[in-house]
Amino acid sequence: MLKFEELCQLIRVVAEQKVSSVEIEQDGMRIRIDGPPAPLPAGTPLLGGSLAPVAFSPSAASAPGASTDGQGEGIGADEAGLVFVTSPIVGTFYRAPNPEAPPFVEVGAVVRKGQVLCIVEAMKLMNEIESDVSGVVVRAYAENAQPVEFGQRLFALRSA
Amino acid sequence: MLSKVLIANRGEIALRIIAACREAGLATVAVHSEADRDCLHVRMADQSVCIGPPPAKASYLNIASVIAAAEITGADAVHPGYGFLAENAHFAEVVGECGMTWIGPSPEAIRRMGDKSQARRTAVGCGVPILPGSANPLTSREEAVTLAEEIGFPVILKASAGGGGKGMRVAVDARALHHAFDTARMEAERAFGVGDLYLEKYLDHPRHIEVQVLGDQYGRIVALGERECSIQRRHQKLIEESPSPAADEELRTRMCEAAAAAARAVAYTSAGTVEFLYQDGQFFFMEMNTRVQVEHPVTEAVSGVDIVLEQLRIAAGLPLSLKRRPRLRGHAIELRINAEDPVTFAPSAGTITELGFPVGPGVRIDTHLYRGYRVPPYYDSLVAKLIVWGRDRQEAVRRARRALDTFLIGGVKTSIPLHRRILEEPDFLAGRLSTHFLDRLIRPETG
Repeated sequence: MLKFEELCQLIRVVAEQKVSSVEIEQDGMRIRIDGPPAPLPAGTPLLGGSLAPVAFSPSAASAPGASTDGQGEGIGADEAGLVFVTSPIVGTFYRAPNPEAPPFVEVGAVVRKGQVLCIVEAMKLMNEIESDVSGVVVRAYAENAQPVEFGQRLFALRSA
Repeated sequence: MLSKVLIANRGEIALRIIAACREAGLATVAVHSEADRDCLHVRMADQSVCIGPPPAKASYLNIASVIAAAEITGADAVHPGYGFLAENAHFAEVVGECGMTWIGPSPEAIRRMGDKSQARRTAVGCGVPILPGSANPLTSREEAVTLAEEIGFPVILKASAGGGGKGMRVAVDARALHHAFDTARMEAERAFGVGDLYLEKYLDHPRHIEVQVLGDQYGRIVALGERECSIQRRHQKLIEESPSPAADEELRTRMCEAAAAAARAVAYTSAGTVEFLYQDGQFFFMEMNTRVQVEHPVTEAVSGVDIVLEQLRIAAGLPLSLKRRPRLRGHAIELRINAEDPVTFAPSAGTITELGFPVGPGVRIDTHLYRGYRVPPYYDSLVAKLIVWGRDRQEAVRRARRALDTFLIGGVKTSIPLHRRILEEPDFLAGRLSTHFLDRLIRPETG
């Protein structure tokens, strides 16, 4: 059977190589991965400057419509007792106050309630996102400079 | 040139815009609230961004969130659809300031037509008739009577602060107006804190007839003919059709010319609608809607013009794809299917348990419904638009009946039974319509 990592790699390859579709059958299990929609043949665009296929949601290698805030993954056993800090706005996520500075927090850091964890930039405004609880940062979900949606998970904390 | 369009809307219109973008070869970005995660527009667009919690104020009406969604996805144009931010001049301005293309008229045109009194002045300025009435609040009973005699009875008194029928009185003669004046003023004072009244000619059986226009960036304005939208309840249209049963070619030409003149006066670009009240051969400018309208498919059906695609062309700086008013072909009727009780009109949210669409010639359905979809309680109750086309009105009505009979929506109450009833009404079949039609049908005793 395919390992999860192998499956992820396969999805990346399909997306990057613009493969239209891949189907694998193994041990009674069948997986089909559809690539991005093929561009229209040259000469057909009415308006479009770029007809390049577009990648899915900023945060997502997931299927369209799939939840990107982690809620769709269900609460695993290891998530019990965790507090999630989610993005209160749409914008760009920054882990540090400026490109040269160290990140506000790293995984393993102990934080106080009200401590700044990151910045989400929207319309040139830097919004500091604070921790709702005192505790330990156990996971950071977003990459620096990554776009984030409303409600998307940014950090998981184990409250003290 | 455009390449990626963010659709600042939800529901059927978001899907309609995605359809036009796909046809034009444009990439699409959907935005959605937390309540709309499972909406079709989110799945059909190339990208999607959750912009806020369920209440529209915190999501679809939140300008900063919509703009941020456009920025993080690299969208270079915004289509507002209808409702929400569609007629918000400030939003249109912000879109432009952020270096994106606004798929709609200029903020200036939105402002000039959005302000009621300015819009009326604009209409007068280009020779478009408006309903005669007082330009300023009335100062006395005597002034009211003098003015009423000048414009002719019946007249209606309205509160300047207006709304909900408060401070509103119809008077058929000078004596009635004399009596009505004080009560209306008192009512207005109590309801709005201001007793200012104005007066205008009262039409007792007006039709709502509107004209679809398109304008490009090169100053060409084309009218696409009229739509009759008289069947409405509390100013919410329920059935629209084109052509209007009241319009002949001569009236159509006059109305189209008036609508084009009003649009030209504000250098209108994109799709827009000029609304008129019509009675006994006369029409009066009401307002201009500076957006694509719910009922645009009716005009698409009889004119052959893809209105949303034209909006994209215009925004991209291309000229209109048509030079003059197209000849209307056949007859089209749109029935708005709302998730609401057909008798009490109470909204009916819930999960769609069954769904089956009518088939056959002359049927178009614009909807975001699918089986298992949960109709959320937060937004407009419109869940589907059934548009039928026939070679003439009779054929369109026959097709509408059979389409409604085979339109299956389970899990929520819908307006389908009400539509079915209207399609048997002798007045409807004879094309004898007025904006009072639906009220009289629902409450015959007060008609």
